[in-house]
Amino acid sequence: MIDNDTALAVLEAAEHRRAERRRFLTMATSGAAAIGGLALLSACDDDNKNNPTPTPTPAPTATPTPTAITDPDILNFALNLEYLEAQFYSYAVSGAGLPSNLLTGQQTQGTVTGGRQVTFTDPVVRDYAREIAADEVAHVAFLRSALGSGAVSMPSINIDGGASGAFTAAARAAGIVGASGTFDPYASDENFLLGAFIFEDVGVTAYKGAAPLLSSKTYLEAAAGILAAEAYHAGLVRTVLYRKGIATPALQLIETTVKISDLRDTLDGAPADDAVRGIGADDDQGINSPDGGVTSNIVPTNSNGLAYSRTPGQVLNIAYGTKSAVVGGLFFPNGVNGFIRTSTAQA
Amino acid sequence: MADDVQLIEAFDSRVKRRAERRDFFKTALGGAAAVAGASGFFYTNAALAQTAPSDSDVLNFALNLEYLEAQFYSYAANGVGLPANLLDGQGNQGTVTPGQKVAFTDPLVSAYAQEIAKDEIAHVAFLRTALGAAKVSMPSIDVGGTNPNGAFSKAAQAAGLVPAGTAFNPYASDENFLLGAFIFEDVGVTAYKGASPLISNKTFLEAAAGLLAVEAYHASLVRTVLYAKGVATPSLRTSADAISNARDSLDGTTATQVPEDAITGKSSDDDQGISPVTAGSFGTGSNIAPLNANGLAYSRTTGQVLNIVYLTKAAVTMGGFFPAGVNGAIKTSANNA
Repeated sequence: MIDNDTALAVLEAAEHRRAERRRFLTMATSGAAAIGGLALLSACDDDNKNNPTPTPTPAPTATPTPTAITDPDILNFALNLEYLEAQFYSYAVSGAGLPSNLLTGQQTQGTVTGGRQVTFTDPVVRDYAREIAADEVAHVAFLRSALGSGAVSMPSINIDGGASGAFTAAARAAGIVGASGTFDPYASDENFLLGAFIFEDVGVTAYKGAAPLLSSKTYLEAAAGILAAEAYHAGLVRTVLYRKGIATPALQLIETTVKISDLRDTLDGAPADDAVRGIGADDDQGINSPDGGVTSNIVPTNSNGLAYSRTPGQVLNIAYGTKSAVVGGLFFPNGVNGFIRTSTAQA
Repeated sequence: MADDVQLIEAFDSRVKRRAERRDFFKTALGGAAAVAGASGFFYTNAALAQTAPSDSDVLNFALNLEYLEAQFYSYAANGVGLPANLLDGQGNQGTVTPGQKVAFTDPLVSAYAQEIAKDEIAHVAFLRTALGAAKVSMPSIDVGGTNPNGAFSKAAQAAGLVPAGTAFNPYASDENFLLGAFIFEDVGVTAYKGASPLISNKTFLEAAAGLLAVEAYHASLVRTVLYAKGVATPSLRTSADAISNARDSLDGTTATQVPEDAITGKSSDDDQGISPVTAGSFGTGSNIAPLNANGLAYSRTTGQVLNIVYLTKAAVTMGGFFPAGVNGAIKTSANNA
């Protein structure tokens, strides 16, 4: 484990600077969110809904989600994450972000800070990056289309690899670089893969945690399709990092994934274990072998062989880089758009 | 696409030989299943089960697939099958046409095999625990690698990996093992995804989403390794493509058989190899994740999944990797003939 206090201090320093702005935005926008997409999805809410559905997530959370969370709320929450992933991969592959026609929608449209093209040296890694970029752009387009006029716009996103960028802040907190070091995910094949590692497993846990919250069976099946896509991506990234890490130990790739995983584990709190649903205090794993290399650890699973779930609040803990209940930070400087936007207060 | 006609003939030659036997079993077992199930809550009228399966039906269906995967990986990684205490349950307990331990040359592939075996055994144990007394026993499973008429050989022959009448042994090399794994893993993803809207209990839905994710991680691992090794050995990519085409030809090929739905992820062309394809506006990329235009993984119905593991386009209750059929209420493949 890294030093938790240090990690949190680093991340929260940036957090305080945003506090007042954030407070304003919360009040200004929280009411407007849920209005847009209801009509579309309620049309898909066929008779399957007579299951007494909304099993509440057992999040030990102070997250103020006053009324029931709707399917559009959940899909909009996912859309924010897809904006982030799509911008990162799109810049890495092409040097440009998402086209402007994929950015509009409800609430304040933000801007992207940072992002640039990677000069890939391994053509196979370039192939992978192109594939994932195309998939994530497709996810953005799909969710926007599904949500119709209820789709939220892209919030402000920080994918900067410079000294003041979100990736550097995360890398410092994880202990990958020193307190004044820089982590640029666009600097090399390996850094790109580590940047991707920061996101992909989180996407899997986010969609898995959201699955039981969806009431429309149609959108449940669609979301299961995105869940699978994210797991394919995560499996790809972990497999490549493991192979390269074994081949060139000096790169410390395997060790670095452990540090990133530990940081995520620190940020997202320690919910009570539920091995059937796949909820756990220790819900994140690096790719280090559990037994000296006899067995790999490409797939992060619990004792039942299940992937983990995270609540939306836990996902935001990681995306915002905080253990506190806030709206905004790290990769989303002004918070995500939509009704679900507050991270969970973790002990 | 592969030569569909040839492919189907290869499968159907076996299917025809089983036709009479099958009809007998159908009659004999159809009644027996319902009787046996009177004490449990999961067996319902067979016809009814096809339209509205219970959660237990769905989880038992998944358990059959996990038995198959666990046996394959367990033999490949450890040289032994599942322990006896993970085999019993409702329905007729079958036997395994066994595999063998792979003499891996790449220690990474060996490590992957160990990991996947561990996960699949955990899935068997988990589903058995979740189902309790309602769990089905392991049906007869063919994961042998030496019989030219065995399931792996027939699948490989149909995909053109080996000539007709020749055995395909997935335990013979790292490469064969990866191709053997490729036959199963994407199918598991589509099976859990297709089943997700059938599960009404939210706890089991979340658990099944966890199984879905793990199968996708496994599938990705296998596809990524085949793709990377395919740089030096191009036949690994084309072989994976051929297996994908074979699956695609079995599980329905017309919009009538599989109505297109890009939102739920259903399609008559619901399977993809790994060779490079166009990656949106970004040029040519890999194809590790088999997704539709919306970036979604595909769904298969239970009947479609059985088309693949039974190695048939026809509506039958056994064949291929399950010589006596799967156990439980869901056991009939779709009619795509």
